[in-house]
Order: sequence, then structure tokens, then C-alpha cells
Amino acid sequence: MTAVIEVQNLSKRYKDKKALDDVSLSLEPGAIYGLLGRNGAGKTTLMSILTAQNFETSGTVRVFGESPYENARVLSRICFVRESQKYPDDATPRHAFAAARLFFPHWDQVFADRLIAEFQVPLKQRIKKLSRGQLSAVGVIIGLASRAEITFFDEPYLGLDAVARQIFYDRLLEDYVEHPRTVILSSHLIDEVSNLIEKVIVIDNGRIILDEDTDAVRDRAVTVVGDAATVDDWAAGREVLHRETLGRVASVTVLGSLSAAERTELTASGLDLAPVSLQQLVVRLTQRADNPLKEEVH
Amino acid sequence: MRRILNVIRLQMINRQTFIWTPLIVLAGATVLSILVYAMIPVDTPKYGGAGQAPLWYFFAIGIGAMSYTFPFSQAMSITRREFFLGTMLTAVLASAFMGVLFLIGGGIELATGGYGVNGYVFYLDWLWEAGPLGAFVVYFTLALLLFVAGFTGTTIFKSWGLTVLTIVWVALALVIVGLGALVTKLELWGDVWTTVVSLGALGLALWGLVVVAALMGVSFLAFRRTVP
Amino acid sequence: MIEEGKPLFLQIAEHIEDSILDGSLAEETQAPSTNELAAFYRINPATAAKGVAMLTDKGVLYKRRGIGMFVAAGAKDLLLGERRSAFADRYIDPLLAEARTLGLDASDIAALLVERAARTEGNPA
Repeated sequence: MTAVIEVQNLSKRYKDKKALDDVSLSLEPGAIYGLLGRNGAGKTTLMSILTAQNFETSGTVRVFGESPYENARVLSRICFVRESQKYPDDATPRHAFAAARLFFPHWDQVFADRLIAEFQVPLKQRIKKLSRGQLSAVGVIIGLASRAEITFFDEPYLGLDAVARQIFYDRLLEDYVEHPRTVILSSHLIDEVSNLIEKVIVIDNGRIILDEDTDAVRDRAVTVVGDAATVDDWAAGREVLHRETLGRVASVTVLGSLSAAERTELTASGLDLAPVSLQQLVVRLTQRADNPLKEEVH
Repeated sequence: MRRILNVIRLQMINRQTFIWTPLIVLAGATVLSILVYAMIPVDTPKYGGAGQAPLWYFFAIGIGAMSYTFPFSQAMSITRREFFLGTMLTAVLASAFMGVLFLIGGGIELATGGYGVNGYVFYLDWLWEAGPLGAFVVYFTLALLLFVAGFTGTTIFKSWGLTVLTIVWVALALVIVGLGALVTKLELWGDVWTTVVSLGALGLALWGLVVVAALMGVSFLAFRRTVP
Repeated sequence: MIEEGKPLFLQIAEHIEDSILDGSLAEETQAPSTNELAAFYRINPATAAKGVAMLTDKGVLYKRRGIGMFVAAGAKDLLLGERRSAFADRYIDPLLAEARTLGLDASDIAALLVERAARTEGNPA
């Protein structure tokens, strides 16, 4: 399948800091991607560069096979509403949606109207005066109703309460099923989105530390808890992500999935197994990337 | 091309920005002037500068276009070139609108003899020397110049930072002061004045358009790499 | 409903298998579509599709062109066979391990089994 976004050796350097460090990615069309990482990891920078709102220091970016810079042919097929998006002075949501209707060729006003009602966005109130939640809702609605072939969501649901977030996820999935498109969703609410995303990309300090199918990652790690000596014994020679102790009890998170036989063996030795959620895995991987652990456990 | 026209429509979605607010500012300033004129117990013609009020507003919307509308246009997936051309076209149209208002105002003042109180906001003799077309060009140029100045200043600010903007400002001021000093030194003020008078308001306005073009060029260059 | 640490598509497949085994999804009836599964579990349809694909590969589901996925004839028996072979690994071994920890031997376990079985069979499900 030809990649819809192709990034090679992308780096972005500011005066004293490398925001993106030799990033290479190949995104397939029609999948929902989760772009996960800490604040300041480089998620927004990456998405800005992909949409030609920001510029690479080195490396290449190809969207639909072309460079996105000043390329109306490519840009009209994508939508990127930022986390703190600016709107024209004194504009109301009604103005914002009218503008979106002008520029997104697949804009669906009926869908937008339904979303406006569901998110309870006051159409005639100045955007300046909207609450954080309502402001996020405007961005989310633009992204959803644009039906742009590649739609980026940059943590646009910050400010949305849990109910509104669930509405967003539900509508996104529903619409994606009816009208498939490529979606890139950046988030640090990993567990909330883990079921939505087909593929996971984790970025830390400007580097990609994971780029896989979500399902492949799901049983990628396991946590073993029990008597410290027994646990460490078992964990010797394995790739340890995290270790903590409480008295004589140790909890070790290890990379690698276990067969049924291995599991039985573990419980037989009196150790407990705990699953590792996607969020925990990403957190541990990120922590390890930030502070490299010794490989052996003594 | 269609997309550039759509940028104009984008700017016009909120009618207030380019149409109503300048109109209200102008109307308000004019009415105030009329009231003041009515109170002055003198019969000779009275002239006032209320006409400049909406022009400063154009400076503000020039700033706003770059500060707010540009980042929004990026979210709408509009290219920088489309946004620039569309916005400049909108400014031209809006400035022309102001020019027309100016003419209408002048016409009213001529017809009513200064609103019956011999007070003038629009029909300032010097501006109308070259006839109504000249007056239109003058007001049009002033409005457009101020918009582009606000836009360019903000572009420089966003692209290169406050320091650079300040340097540019200071440099411009130094150049003007420097030229002034030079002219004084060479005792050329008389010549300068003669040239100004012979150019007239229209001539100056045409030079103003040259400045507008230069500013547009600067802002376009700076703007190619501005991050919203 | 959704547990951590196990691939989602496997869990989806298992849930479908469960409904076939308990009779709520009969053979030769239509199975839930990928989109229905995605909506119900609030998951990505690609994941649901993977689960369905796995079941199709196993021979539990098959595709009727133009209509959708159907439960294959003999699916129930197939699954029963599969689960029975896995029964010892999945349930008996952990039970034995725990019993060992508690100091119960095989005859203790057998006695408990018989007693509990009598209790549940006595009471209608």
C-alpha cells in the first residue's frame, strides 16, 4: 500500500534544542493512528511540519506523494486544528464553521449541525468568550465535519469533560466506519484512546520510540509481582522496563509476552501476574528512554 | 483563483471587521465633529480631522489579520500565498469602500454647506484639488497604507521577533530624522515644500501607493516562513 | 468487558466464540458485522475485522457473498473440542498450583469438586 504520509530523517532544531530528531515514518491511508508522548515530546511540532505550518530543518516530508509546502492540491485534503487554535478577532462559532464550509471540499453541514447540538456550542457567542470546553468543541467539530482525507486531532479535547470526550470518540468511530479516512490523534490520555487507535506511534524527546500496530503492542509486556528474590531470579536475562520494591515484595515489568505454560509455571512458583495496559507500557517505555536502566537485575 | 476569492469571503464572513466597524467609527467621528462645529460661534469654515479615525482602525485590522486570521487560515488549510493575496485584495476593496464613503461625505458637505454650520470633515480643500477622483485616491491610499503597515509590522514581529521589529522601527525613524537633518543642512526645505505643493495631495497619494507596494513586498517575503 | 494485556482482536474473537458455545449465536445465523462490533465495543473496526478474520481462518465463521459473515455449521463442536483440550491448561493447572499452595492434595480437590458439582446441579442455573 502506498503510504499517504512519508517522513524521512526529519529533524527540527531550534537554537538550543532539537524538537525532532531523525524521525522516519510511513503512514498508511485509512487507519487511525495514535501519536502518543509527553508534553513537549514533539507531537505538535511533527504535525505542524506535516501540514506545512512549520518547517523542517532537515529531512523530507511527502503527503500524498508531494511536498505540502504551499501546495493547495495537498493542503485542501488535510485538516489540522491545533490545541490552542486562534480564530479571527470577534469571530463566533458560526463564523468559524461558515469558513470551514468554504475551504473543506467534503464539509458536511448536517453532520456539523448534529455535533454542534451534541456538544452544546453557542453559535452566536464570541469565541473569545467561550469556555475552554466549548472552544475545544469548536475545534473538534471542524475536524470531524471536515471529512478531510487526513485529519489531525492535536489533543483538541483538552477542556472537554469525560462525557464530551466520550461523545467525541463515539462520533469519530461512527464517522470513520461510514467514511473511512486517515486520522492522526495525539493524546496523552492513552488508555482512553487505546481501543480507538489501530496503530501506535510513541514519540519522546523528538525521537520515535515505538511505531507498531496497537494489538501487537498490547501483550508486549507483563508485570510480575512477588517475593523479590524469586522475581529477580525469573527476570534475569529479560528486558526489564521497570522495577520497584516494597519491603520484600518486588514488582517487575518485563518486555515480552508469556506462553500459557510460562504463566502456569510462574503462578506455580507463587508469583502473581498483572497485565500491562497500553498506557503503562508507553509510560514505562518513555521512562526507560529518558533514564536508561541497567539491563541486568541483581 | 477560486480559493483566493474564498479568502475574501472568509474575511467578509464577519461583516463587522471590514464594513460595519469602520463605518460606525467614521459616522461617530463625523457626528461628534458636527456637534462641536455647531457649538463654535464662528462663521468661517471649520475643518477637522475626524476623517482619520477609521484609518487608525485599518491599522488595527491589519494587525488582526496577521495575528488571528492568518493562524485560522492555516487551520483551514489555506496556503500562505492564497491568504496573502486574498487578504490584500480584501484590504483593497475595503479601502475603496472607505474612499467611496469619503466621496459621499464630501458630496453631502458640499450640498449642505457643511451641514449648515460650515464645518467640514471630508471636504478639505487641499485634498480635493485634483477633483473627486483625487480625493478618492488619497483616502483609499491612506486606508490601504495603514492596513498594510499594521500587517507588515505584525509579520515582521511574528517572523523575526520583537527585537527585529524594534530595530526596523528605530532604523526607519533614524532614516527620517537623518533625511530631515540633511535637508536642513543643505537648506532644501524650500525645494521640498515646492515639490510637495506641486505634487498635491494626489501626487503624494500616488507615492503612498509605491510605499504600499514596497511594504507588501516586504511582508510577503517575511510571511513565506511565518509559523502561525 | 475489555481486559488489559491481551490483544483486543483475540478478546473479540473469544466473545463471539462464547456466544456460539452458549447457544445465543446459532450455527448458520448471521454473526455481528465488523462495524457492529466496533460500535458495540467502541473499538477500531480494523481490530474487530482482525478478530473476525481469525475466526474465519479457524473455520468458525464463513462469508456469504453480498450478505455478511455467518456461523459455520459444526462451529460449536469445533469450539467445544478446542476449549476442552485447553481446559486442562487454562483451568486445571492453575487450580492445582493454588491447591498446592494451600496444602490440598488431589483427593481433597476431588472431594471438593464432587461436593460443589452436586450443589450447582441441584440448583437450576
